[in-house]
Amino acid sequence: MDQILNVLVIGLLLGGIYGLVSIGLNLIFGVIRIINFAQGELVMFGMYGCYWAHVQMGLSPYVSVFIVAPLVGLLGVVIQRVVLQPLQSEPSMQIFATFGLLMMFQNIMLALTGGEAFSVGGSLGTEVISLGDTKVSMVRLITLLATTLITVGLHFFLKRTMLGKAIRAVTQDKRAARVMGIAVERIFLLTFGIGAALAGLAGALLTPIYSITPGIGGNFIMAAFAVVVLGGLGSVWGAYLGGLIVGVVEAFAGFYIDPVLKSAVWFLIFLVVLVVRPAGLLGQVGAEEVGFREQH
Amino acid sequence: MKKSTALAGIALASVVSLVSTANAQTIKIGAINPYSGPLALYGTEVTRGYEIAVDQLNASGGLLGKKVELIRGDATNPQQGIATVEQLVTREKVDLLLGTYVSGISMTASDAAMRYNKLYWETNAVFQTLTERGLPNFIRSGPDGNVFAVTSSKVVRDLIAPALKKDIKDVKVWLESEDSVYGTGVAKAQKQLLTEMGAQVVGVGAHSWKSIDLNDTVLRAKQANPDILIQTGYVPDGNLMLRTIREQGWKPSAILFVGTGDTPETLEAVGASYLEGVLVVGYPRNDIKDSYGPGNKAYLAAYQAKYKKDPIAPQGMAAFSGAQILFESIKAAGSVDPDKVRAAAQKLDKPEGTYASGFGAKFDDKMQNTRASFTASQWQSGAMVTVYPKEAVLPNVTLKPLGRP
Amino acid sequence: MSNIDTNNSPVIESGQSAWIKYFGGMALASLPLALFVDDPNWLNIIAFTYLMGGLASSWNIIGGFGGQHSLGHGVFFGIGAYMTAGLFVNYGWTPWLSMLIAAVTAAAVSALISWPTFRLRGPFFAIATLAFNEVAFVMANHFDSVTGGPRGIMIPFKAGVENMIFKERWQYALLMFGFVAIVVAFSVWLRRSRLGYYLLAVREDEDSARASGIHVLSVKLQGMAISAAFTAIGGALFAMYLRFIDPPTIFNLQDIGVKFFLLSLIGGVGTVAGPLLGAALIVPFENILRVEFADALPGFNLAVLGFLMVLAALFMKRGVVGAIQDLIQRRRNKREPS
Repeated sequence: MDQILNVLVIGLLLGGIYGLVSIGLNLIFGVIRIINFAQGELVMFGMYGCYWAHVQMGLSPYVSVFIVAPLVGLLGVVIQRVVLQPLQSEPSMQIFATFGLLMMFQNIMLALTGGEAFSVGGSLGTEVISLGDTKVSMVRLITLLATTLITVGLHFFLKRTMLGKAIRAVTQDKRAARVMGIAVERIFLLTFGIGAALAGLAGALLTPIYSITPGIGGNFIMAAFAVVVLGGLGSVWGAYLGGLIVGVVEAFAGFYIDPVLKSAVWFLIFLVVLVVRPAGLLGQVGAEEVGFREQH
Repeated sequence: MKKSTALAGIALASVVSLVSTANAQTIKIGAINPYSGPLALYGTEVTRGYEIAVDQLNASGGLLGKKVELIRGDATNPQQGIATVEQLVTREKVDLLLGTYVSGISMTASDAAMRYNKLYWETNAVFQTLTERGLPNFIRSGPDGNVFAVTSSKVVRDLIAPALKKDIKDVKVWLESEDSVYGTGVAKAQKQLLTEMGAQVVGVGAHSWKSIDLNDTVLRAKQANPDILIQTGYVPDGNLMLRTIREQGWKPSAILFVGTGDTPETLEAVGASYLEGVLVVGYPRNDIKDSYGPGNKAYLAAYQAKYKKDPIAPQGMAAFSGAQILFESIKAAGSVDPDKVRAAAQKLDKPEGTYASGFGAKFDDKMQNTRASFTASQWQSGAMVTVYPKEAVLPNVTLKPLGRP
Repeated sequence: MSNIDTNNSPVIESGQSAWIKYFGGMALASLPLALFVDDPNWLNIIAFTYLMGGLASSWNIIGGFGGQHSLGHGVFFGIGAYMTAGLFVNYGWTPWLSMLIAAVTAAAVSALISWPTFRLRGPFFAIATLAFNEVAFVMANHFDSVTGGPRGIMIPFKAGVENMIFKERWQYALLMFGFVAIVVAFSVWLRRSRLGYYLLAVREDEDSARASGIHVLSVKLQGMAISAAFTAIGGALFAMYLRFIDPPTIFNLQDIGVKFFLLSLIGGVGTVAGPLLGAALIVPFENILRVEFADALPGFNLAVLGFLMVLAALFMKRGVVGAIQDLIQRRRNKREPS
């Protein structure tokens, strides 16, 4: 029982990681309405990019993120323009294409690196704030703070700026937005770019925590999907909250029940929540009714 | 008319026989391993061991008077194992098969090879069932999963307990493993052996090697307050576990990794100073005494010459030695026929310390080599140094403190 | 979502025409088996193509006709594989019987897990079904007294028709061909049956379907049950072919669970021929790529496959069937003077 605080902290920090990885996915999912299977690979690119910058130029990931994240964002724009936009009328094919991208990206990195696990060690990865039994890892705390800041920032961006309002308009009703004079294709490009950049940023912040392998994106993607759906399609705070919930549930299930069963536990909770509140926690009621049909 | 057709016939026959003897001048060996996918690094490393063995063999006259040609066949899951064997046997016309870093692939591939009555020589996969199922064409030169457990238990009793100045009955152990057949199999055997030795197994835990977070695992282990943490897993989870242990401020008296944790990948992850003192049970390395593993330095030199870098993992040298035992068996049998090779292999009686990886050759009735062991090494100043068994240890090597800095 | 059927042929073809196409198509599909009957290497690939074609066709019943993109069919596949393997190894039950029992079990399980999730639509539904696959994987690992846990189940080689274990690869290929022929025949029949029409109506516009009196949930559940049953049978065949199954193999998303969806897509989702065409395109191609490229640079074969998948998506937007239909349409347009 004395570990409760420690486990809670672990869960919240883990939730920060889940939230960070999910933010970009949530934006893409919410606005453009496609399941981007390759999102984990964009995170992976962020990680490799920062690793490379660290090895070649001695840069900390917290510095190189400012170059790496926009570069990944640019890749996102290219993906949207070249691959996804032409497939606008066939959403299933878009999913197929993102799966092809997943295989391409993972295996290009495998071919380039041979599969060896890379790590950015360094002193930042080891700093811990000790509050008795409770240990707060610095890099994870920074991740949680970043996730919170980005969520707040995104919320204000969507609510207060013209561009953000345009994005929300497109999210709600693409056809009406077009009638209103909003360049929907441009919004999609921008959204995918931001979503990809956020994935790259997640990769950068996670670089000090994990050993990077070509398949590491796949380790996050399942949880990211679940978080996005749990939080409610298109809700920025929903994804944040969903991440925290999944993180805390996983931490408690792992410690008090069994680490082997922990993913099953939170998946089951995810399914229960969906049954009770199909729109997700903070999603608009009726949003789960949105199928592919709506966007055409 | 008849004479010319006869002459043509003879000419044709001699050309045909020339061609077929030309083909029969090489022995083709199919090397099945994952050359793509997440385990590509180790699959390739294992095959490099084969390639070096084949080079040396061809340089000294080949096998049964013929040159040996190694043909790679990629398989990353059991279904592909079947397809690759079909490909190698029917298309490439290989005479026998060599493999395999992954047990599941070996399972189906060796079975498929049986349908063609081709020998399947296993050098690395550790799954017990592979030999226990009694497939007539299957012979394993490398250690099985049980040996991981045997070696790690002996290391606990003979190396760690004395260093901690504890009697084996007072030693408390937490067994952690990744949750696939590899980790769980080893952990089960470890529990049995350690309990038989009198040690206290205070807990057994499992986790996915793809885990994003191992805090729960580490906290559960820490709570049980063991002296020794034994972890059997892969590189990503091993690295994350070390980082998590450090973060949580837990300092077990000794940490023993089994199977992985001995490559630069782990060094890069946590740094030399934290890694100092961690023990790893694994395939024998290149710093063992020549009396223990004759030719291990020569293997290192050959590897560096051929691939222009240092060996990535010691699995390669075990594969190399395994291939050498294969070649000896074929020579003794005078054929590549599985039954004949099996009979010849069963007659082999080479003591431990015959081959570069320290192996001997003595197969039991399930065709498992009983003289194949692992060694234990310790991270010292950023390098892996062999510290067990004492027959393998170089003279100026000492055991450094096992606890966390 | 565009409807391949109503775009080009507003009149549904006659039953006779559909069955003629079926027998013609199946005859064509059986050619590779006949041609390569002496080549075990190709027979293995062909057998696997038929099996994946059958599994994709099974998925297509609910995924294509019904428009419910399930990514969790690995669960039903696993039920078929594990029940058949387990009953054979532990009790000596013939797989021919076990696979039918597994089919019924899978149908029942599908009703249980789909009933709460069918209220979700589109991507929500898909992600929820992914969760089921993950849960099944963890359970298969955990309940090792039933499933063998991480060790899996190994089926020893005891040849015999009653064991569904064959010495010759062509016999397996024939078995798999039988499977896909049956599933596709069922698809042809379903397409023209009332349930089929209801499924299509639900796919097109769920609200309108409900408004016109269709019991949407019941239709979805029926479609899912049939799809699950056939998928389980495919799983049983897989288990008896490989004779070694373990959780990472069975519940692998990229090779199994999501594969059925992908093959149907590239072939032409919602069509009868699409899934088999998709399998015929991808499965042999994957093999060829792996043989040619895998040892050049690790993963190169899959990078090429991924790239070609993206290209295929861009150039065959409605799959192979859609591309063929476009070709025919273009020929028709050329002939008619405008």
